[in-house]
Amino acid sequence: MARKMLVDEEMNQTNQEEAYYDFDLFVIGAGSGGVRAARFSANYGAKVGICELPFHPISSEVIGGVGGTCVIRGCVPKKILVYGAAFGSELEDARNYGWELNEKLDFNWKKLLHKKTDEIIRLNGIYKRLLSNAGVKLFEGEGKIVGPNEVEVTQLDGTKLSYSAKHILIATGSRAHRPPIPGQGLGITSDEALSLEDLPKHAVVFGGGYIAVEFASIWRGLGANVDLFFRKELPLRGFDDEMRAVVARNLEGRGINLHPQTNLTELIKTDNGIKVTTDHGEELIADVVLFATGRLPNSKRLNLEAVGVELDNTGAVKVDEYSRTSIPSIWAVGDVTNRMNLTPVALMEGTCFAKTVFGKEPSKPDYSHVPCAVFSIPPLSVVGLSEEQAIEQANGDVLVFTSTFNPMKNTVSGRQEKTVMKLVVDAETDKVLGASMCGPDAPEIMQGIAVALKCGATKAQFDSTVGIHPSAAEEFVTMRSVSRRITCSGKPKTNL
Amino acid sequence: MATTSFTAPKLSSPTFQTLCRNLPLSLPIPKTLSSFSFHLSPFLSRFHLHHHHPTPRFHPRRLFAVRAESENGAEPLRHYDFDLFTIGAGSGGVRASRFAANFGASVAVCELPFSTISSETTGGVGGTCVLRGCVPKKLMVYASKYSHEFDESNGFGWKYDTEPKHDWSTLMANKNAELQRLTGIYKNILNKAGVTLIEGRGKIVDPHTVDVDGKLYTARHILISVGGRPFIPDIPGSEYAIDSDAALDLPSKPEKVAIVGGGYIALEFAGIFNGLTSEVHVFIRQKKVLRGFDEEIRDFVGEQMALRGIQFHTEESPQAIVKSADGSLSLKTNKGTTEGFSHIMFATGRRPNTKNLGLESVGVKINKNGAIEVDEYSRTTVPSIWAVGDVTDRINLTPVALMEGAALAKTLFQNEPTKPDYRAVPSAVFSQPPIGQVGLTEEQAIKEYGDIDVYTANFRPLKATLSGLPDRIFMKLIVCAKTNKVIGLHMCGEDSAEIAQGFAVAVKAGLTKVDFDATVGIHPTSAEEFVTMRTPTRKIRQSSESQGNMGHEAKTAAGV
Repeated sequence: MARKMLVDEEMNQTNQEEAYYDFDLFVIGAGSGGVRAARFSANYGAKVGICELPFHPISSEVIGGVGGTCVIRGCVPKKILVYGAAFGSELEDARNYGWELNEKLDFNWKKLLHKKTDEIIRLNGIYKRLLSNAGVKLFEGEGKIVGPNEVEVTQLDGTKLSYSAKHILIATGSRAHRPPIPGQGLGITSDEALSLEDLPKHAVVFGGGYIAVEFASIWRGLGANVDLFFRKELPLRGFDDEMRAVVARNLEGRGINLHPQTNLTELIKTDNGIKVTTDHGEELIADVVLFATGRLPNSKRLNLEAVGVELDNTGAVKVDEYSRTSIPSIWAVGDVTNRMNLTPVALMEGTCFAKTVFGKEPSKPDYSHVPCAVFSIPPLSVVGLSEEQAIEQANGDVLVFTSTFNPMKNTVSGRQEKTVMKLVVDAETDKVLGASMCGPDAPEIMQGIAVALKCGATKAQFDSTVGIHPSAAEEFVTMRSVSRRITCSGKPKTNL
Repeated sequence: MATTSFTAPKLSSPTFQTLCRNLPLSLPIPKTLSSFSFHLSPFLSRFHLHHHHPTPRFHPRRLFAVRAESENGAEPLRHYDFDLFTIGAGSGGVRASRFAANFGASVAVCELPFSTISSETTGGVGGTCVLRGCVPKKLMVYASKYSHEFDESNGFGWKYDTEPKHDWSTLMANKNAELQRLTGIYKNILNKAGVTLIEGRGKIVDPHTVDVDGKLYTARHILISVGGRPFIPDIPGSEYAIDSDAALDLPSKPEKVAIVGGGYIALEFAGIFNGLTSEVHVFIRQKKVLRGFDEEIRDFVGEQMALRGIQFHTEESPQAIVKSADGSLSLKTNKGTTEGFSHIMFATGRRPNTKNLGLESVGVKINKNGAIEVDEYSRTTVPSIWAVGDVTDRINLTPVALMEGAALAKTLFQNEPTKPDYRAVPSAVFSQPPIGQVGLTEEQAIKEYGDIDVYTANFRPLKATLSGLPDRIFMKLIVCAKTNKVIGLHMCGEDSAEIAQGFAVAVKAGLTKVDFDATVGIHPTSAEEFVTMRTPTRKIRQSSESQGNMGHEAKTAAGV
């Protein structure tokens, strides 16, 4: 409440002070959150400047590009490669449907890579146009905060520009990091993995998060041998345990070698490739080693400490519910704040920021029921609580509905892979607390379910919805019998 | 079927009823009564044929009648072979039978012998959906979609030394193996639920008696769930035409096929044959395909299908089919003749299977389309006879038949009178690209609500930017201006059917546009577009209607 009043108060002063600043808003970083905040602020009438590093597919302290991680080194190129890789199994499945294909199919990695790069260059251009159409002034160069209302942009030629701004928004995102093991320089991160010259023949992926399983799926789908190493018993920590097990089973079913509870300890360059050693004493040779062991906020070279912007111990910029940092005129959105690192969340934060600061409508991003997807092959998508979270948070009993089935396409293709769906329901209120699905089209299917959950839909409302036949999604509205009931006191749960 | 032999008490209900009345009420009554009835059956059934039993009178108000009956005591005590006898083991019949059995009723269901082509004498457990509809159709869609995927995959770096060729017989064999498996599964489901399956043609003899190939069965309730069959109009040469049953089971690939009709079946088959590399011509009477669907969707799907190589002949009505000496077929329409077809398929509607069911003689009323008239509880004009599914021609969709069947079982055997709820029933057309929708079309929404906001998106999906194909996606949300509720949602493009389901839950729950907007997107998907539509494409207002015919086109133009 106090914060809200502060925001209001400040906006009342806007008119008087406007004239003293070069910009109403200066944004550092033109990724999803920054571009959204800049455009929307400009639409509210603010004078907005934004700076971004020069474009290149592989990021560094001095390389970035308008569009940011999502467009250049994340969601978009990743999804393109997933599309490409998914054809591998699609084409196999075609045979039982009567299609006669060559025994060995040709895949041209360079062509895919080239087209992917063309597409992100196109999108980079679209983003630039979006900014200019909104009247946002774009500067190319490295931004740095000099004072609470002062930014400095170092341009490519080394010249420095200095601007004052009533508000500064930090939206510099994050970058992949490598674990500190001997020979780590021989490994790559997701940036390079999206731009490899050649398709790996034998790839080692280290990490159990979504990036790790996505790349494992991509390379496997394109025909590489893939070994996936992760620290936990199952990949995708934080997701529903049952669904984690499903993903693990599917990855294995698709031919990926899983190495749970295993760390990489050393990489050594040899004539045959990179020798990878694990803490179990295993050794194997790979031509590519991917570190998908997490990402760190890009907060280092912004001069934040000097201005007094507080960071947490992971280097993330600390913000309040309105995305304001410890300095009232400085704000931050997106991955650099390490709240929920998803493009649509950064968009939401950017939108709320613009509304709060320039739209006279203090708005907090709402992190409840944020759906998300893992584009493994097949994909996983979830919204709301996992079974474990539901049990943790529920006051009464929790009902779990699951459905495991052979998708219709597989009945003829012969592919041995089940689709699994799950609804977690509060027994007392009948509210659906969480939904998850692993199987083809899961991310597309989950979006509508997310609308329902966001608004507190009950299981009865799911049941009263007629199915679309024949679809996989109809299973979500035809789960009649409860698979198990977890009483609050008992809380029996496997510890996966 | 093993099941046909052991249950066959030939017993005529009226006489047995009289007989039972004389029994002391306390007598425990065996559930099936088979040993008892066998002795009686020969003469009773003969007797029955000459004796007209008056229909029991029920309270004129249906709701009460339903309650009274399902609650227990109101009906005179009387015994039947079964609590429920279902004619037709398709989606609705199987669902109603299983659920009724689960609620403790003794249930029998009869069904014609299995064949991929339906007729007066062939059917098969599973019904249209499993054997001649949704399932084989979807399998054929999967098969045919590959040719588009081959094209797409080129853009993603995949290459084929030789153009992929399709072997028709492999597909048919694998498809039919799957259908056999499914019909077996359905039989199992019935069996497990304790439902007696009788193979043969059921015919209603009186309000409580069904004749299956000469054997009589009595039942407290009779359910008609015999579905519908394709209808081919009677034009010269119509004997050369095929219907959807045959189209799903052709012995070889049709080289050049004419499809007559603009409904969903026509479009689905057009996509199937086109994908399996036939030359496809679609003849429609109207200017556009899919009458009844949202106008923009109709335009969009027509364009997209044409881009994939399907040739549409609009405003052409079939007049005759002529077979030429070389065996090829010509289709004569009001506009001219198109020659050289290997096959001409009529997708010109389906008709309820109400012939030769004995309905007229028992007094079950049929409407002019041949559909059985039922009330909100699926009860026909004869109180002990009920009907669900396509034979009632309400909304002819499998999940709706399931809903009707489930509701009926609850009404009859769980003391819970239940009306099927036809609001916001979603549906899909598995054309290529497919359509998914729920709620009202724009035209219906204007009629019903007057003031609406329409949000549309028409975009090139990420996959198409790489494949280079002209595929697009169209999405539309229709919002009631007064309540902000989302009253219609339409989509045409890849994954539409899967995407629409979740949104159907939201629309059914009466959620508002604000609720949609508050939902975070899943990136990158197509579906996220439905939660990121910020600006209405047009606002339609009837309020300023005073100046007369301020049609919606005019406002459309002004709205952007």
